Amino acid sequence: MSYQPLTTPYYSSRRQSGWNRNQNTVAFASSIKLGPISHTILIALMVTIIGLVYLTQATMTTSYDYEAQKFDNQIAELETKNADLKVDNARLTALEKVQSSNVAKNMTTPVSTEYAR
Amino acid sequence: MPQLPFKEMSRPAIIRWLLIAVMVVFGIRLFYLQVIKHADYAEMAAAEQIKPLTIPAKRGLIYAMDGSTPVPLVINQTLYTMFVDPSIVKDPSKILDTIRSVAGGNLQPNLESLISRKESRYQILGKNLTRRQAEMIKSKNYAGLGFQEVTARVYPEAGLAGQVLGFVNGDGVGQYGVEGYFNSQLVGKDGRLKSVTDPSGVPLTIGDKNVNIPAVDGDDIVLTIDRNVQAFAEKALAEGLKRTKATNGSVVVIDPRNGKVMAMANLPTYNPAEFGKAQSADLFNNAIVSAPYEPGSDIKTFTVATGLDKGIIEPDSRYNNTDYIKIEDRTIQNFTKGQTGDITYQTALNYSLNTGMVTIAKLLGDGNSITKGARDTLYDYFHNRFGFGKLTGIELSNEQPGIIISPSQRDGGAVRYSNMTFGQGMDLTMIQVASSFCSLVNGGTYYPPTVVEGKLDKDGNLVAAPKKTPKLGVISKTASDKVHKMIHEARTAFFANRDKPGYDIGGKTGTSQTLINGSYDNDQTVGTYLGYGGDTEAKYVIMVEVSGKGMGLQGGTDAMPIFTDISNWLIDYLKLQPKG
Repeated sequence: MSYQPLTTPYYSSRRQSGWNRNQNTVAFASSIKLGPISHTILIALMVTIIGLVYLTQATMTTSYDYEAQKFDNQIAELETKNADLKVDNARLTALEKVQSSNVAKNMTTPVSTEYAR
Repeated sequence: MPQLPFKEMSRPAIIRWLLIAVMVVFGIRLFYLQVIKHADYAEMAAAEQIKPLTIPAKRGLIYAMDGSTPVPLVINQTLYTMFVDPSIVKDPSKILDTIRSVAGGNLQPNLESLISRKESRYQILGKNLTRRQAEMIKSKNYAGLGFQEVTARVYPEAGLAGQVLGFVNGDGVGQYGVEGYFNSQLVGKDGRLKSVTDPSGVPLTIGDKNVNIPAVDGDDIVLTIDRNVQAFAEKALAEGLKRTKATNGSVVVIDPRNGKVMAMANLPTYNPAEFGKAQSADLFNNAIVSAPYEPGSDIKTFTVATGLDKGIIEPDSRYNNTDYIKIEDRTIQNFTKGQTGDITYQTALNYSLNTGMVTIAKLLGDGNSITKGARDTLYDYFHNRFGFGKLTGIELSNEQPGIIISPSQRDGGAVRYSNMTFGQGMDLTMIQVASSFCSLVNGGTYYPPTVVEGKLDKDGNLVAAPKKTPKLGVISKTASDKVHKMIHEARTAFFANRDKPGYDIGGKTGTSQTLINGSYDNDQTVGTYLGYGGDTEAKYVIMVEVSGKGMGLQGGTDAMPIFTDISNWLIDYLKLQPKG
């Protein structure tokens, strides 16, 4: 394996510039050159992408809202049904209903009562 | 004059300048709209997009006890009001056929007339339809037929304990009873939702001004009222009134070990579900807490307790009784004559002798007259210790304190205090008398009466209400034991065979004349009976009152049988074991 020298156009050694401790001594510059039109197109593209990302996120949030609303409606409906069932249950177990039931009608009074002591 | 050279502009330059001019105009306009008028337009947009919604809190439910289990007395139900826009109805007969078959009992009269009023845009066809009924009708998709949700209070036990419960008026405000007393706790707190909405009103989370404060539902309150005891008390009272032809009656049942009210019934009453049909607003008042009256001879138990506690009498200590006794310029006489000579205070209580009670009042003084000291002592016991003439603090609307005249007032002389020893000359409520009677038979502790057992938490568990502070030593334990026994003797002297054998039952009759235009009317009397029952200790106190305009009702013959019915039933219900 042979040693490959650096091909960077701007190379400065420690001796060539005022070198200080902990300072980078090598600078790189891209060989690709972009003109003003390319810059403009790139910026426009970036703005478009960022805009699209924003729109996607906003739309997603809104779609979650609709989803949440659907669940809220379901919860409300189930709560209403639950409340209706509670009302039915309360009516069916009301004292008057229980007392007029066949079970209650068939009950008899004990002749005598003994108490455990 | 030299002509200035006109520099012609090229067409692109003209267009460029025109475009610049247009852009400047646009820029100015945009600056005006977006900067100067920003706040106005932001407000307009917010008004259009952001909708404040109220999240209604659910009104708390009210429960009674069934033994140790809470059971609902008042619950909420979403009901529907069905309306129609007659101007767009196409086939009225088809609509009427459907709604009659689905919700016949909830419809308005004259349906044909209502639905044919083409000039009207809104006619109510039915009220209080259930969700199922509404859905069945909705599924037919009739043009012009609509439904409006309403939350209604429903009463699965019908009118049970109506005057204890109270009702909720059209504005959602609790009136009378528990609904009135606890309105602020039952009503809860509405929540707020402020959010950007889409055109159909669906709240969206976009925007930075959203507010979402959840509703706080009202408390679910559990009463000490036991629905079985309440139902039996109402039944026994109704039967008692039928038997005696009395028009008004009241019953209160209290546990003397803690002051918990097990039943509280008045007749006539009303059904809270149909409070609008009540003939008079008087029916909304619970007479047991709101209608002070002269309690009559029931109070003799308190006079005897005072004498025993002060150590001036014993049950078997004797005094010389006469049929009449003179206090200042007034002569007080007994209803039952002939019990004269050397008799015991037990006999005086058994025969309900006014003269015996006046004698005790004299003994509280110098023995010869009802001195200021005697009156102060009686006032201390009656007002400060037994709570007569004071609010008991029971959790029901419109409680009245009653009236008791202190010895320092102009009318607080010996005559008044002699009358007070046998229950005249003061106005008390039944709840005052019954709750302080508990202290006579429970060892001398006054428990403030309560109708609140606790609350239900979110999981439906009963959380007990904080206990009210009892007043210890209203009378001594010794005095309580003695008066307890005397009250038992007073009942067994005349009504022994009415009770189930082997139990400790006691009671005292009361027959009070009614004060009409400033003078007592012997032909219109209020009959009361105040007693207790139990096995090794008093487990219940029952007070009964019957009255009627122009009727002479007696404690012993008219009120006492109602007490007996309830007492004998309670012995079985509470599974009390006979002694011995």
